[in-house]
Amino acid sequence: MSEPDGPTVTPAGGTAVAERPAEEVLAQTPWVTLVWDDPVNLMSYVAHVFTTYFSYPKSKAQRLMLQVHTEGKAVVSSGSREEMERDVKAMHEYGLWATLDKADQ
Amino acid sequence: MKKFKRKGKVVVSRLDSYEVELLESLVQQLVEMVSEGEPQNFTTQPESDDPFEMWARDLQADPDEPEASEDPVLQRLFPNAYPHDPDAASDFRRFTEHDLKVRKISEAQLVLQRLQDTDRGAHDVRIPLDEADQWLRTLTSVRLAVATRLGITDAESADELAELPEDDPRAFMVSVYDWLGFAQETLVTAL
Repeated sequence: MSEPDGPTVTPAGGTAVAERPAEEVLAQTPWVTLVWDDPVNLMSYVAHVFTTYFSYPKSKAQRLMLQVHTEGKAVVSSGSREEMERDVKAMHEYGLWATLDKADQ
Repeated sequence: MKKFKRKGKVVVSRLDSYEVELLESLVQQLVEMVSEGEPQNFTTQPESDDPFEMWARDLQADPDEPEASEDPVLQRLFPNAYPHDPDAASDFRRFTEHDLKVRKISEAQLVLQRLQDTDRGAHDVRIPLDEADQWLRTLTSVRLAVATRLGITDAESADELAELPEDDPRAFMVSVYDWLGFAQETLVTAL
């Protein structure tokens, strides 16, 4: 085995990084789960889904349900893309019409 | 049928024999439709320890490019999660649709079991509280399927159907749809 010439490589100088580099944080664009109004799902059921799945208090679930009903859609959760895909999948399990999107759109 | 009522840790109602048969038939149609006639392909299998076996199963179960179904009912049951991004929509479908189908089918089969327990309506239908969501999701899928077939796409078309003359050929399905809504509403409020 040959010894490399030049400067000796020391085993990873420094210590573990306690905080993520800023650019990595920036890359994590927040995403949102949107639930859209549909003519079939009952208002009581939609509110039930929001309390059951998201563990939202009844008042918040009720407010979001009414927002879906009157405005046609509502943002029901936000977070990483992976988390939002999980939420959208759960909404589809419940038969709600849900999509995900970037938070700023 | 009577309203669902909560009695301790179960929710109870009484269905007539024709109501049991009707609901069984609708839930069975849901299973057929979701599984495209092959429910045995969507059973919940125990997770294997062998990764190769798991991969082989995944590859077998998931086509490379799952297409959105052309059936409007299936389109509604498995909505497009990314309406502005076809590639992401296709990926999402690939990673979720098989799971969703397995779940819908196993929940539907649980509902069928509880209906069978009534012995054609001779006994109450008894839903343990921890199975209420499985029932609610199954009733929702059935309601979505019936509504799509009836052409209910918005509030206007829903209102229009509510005022059909009795001799309209759609009148029976509309009454079924209303009955399913009653079952679901009283089940939610009983919880």
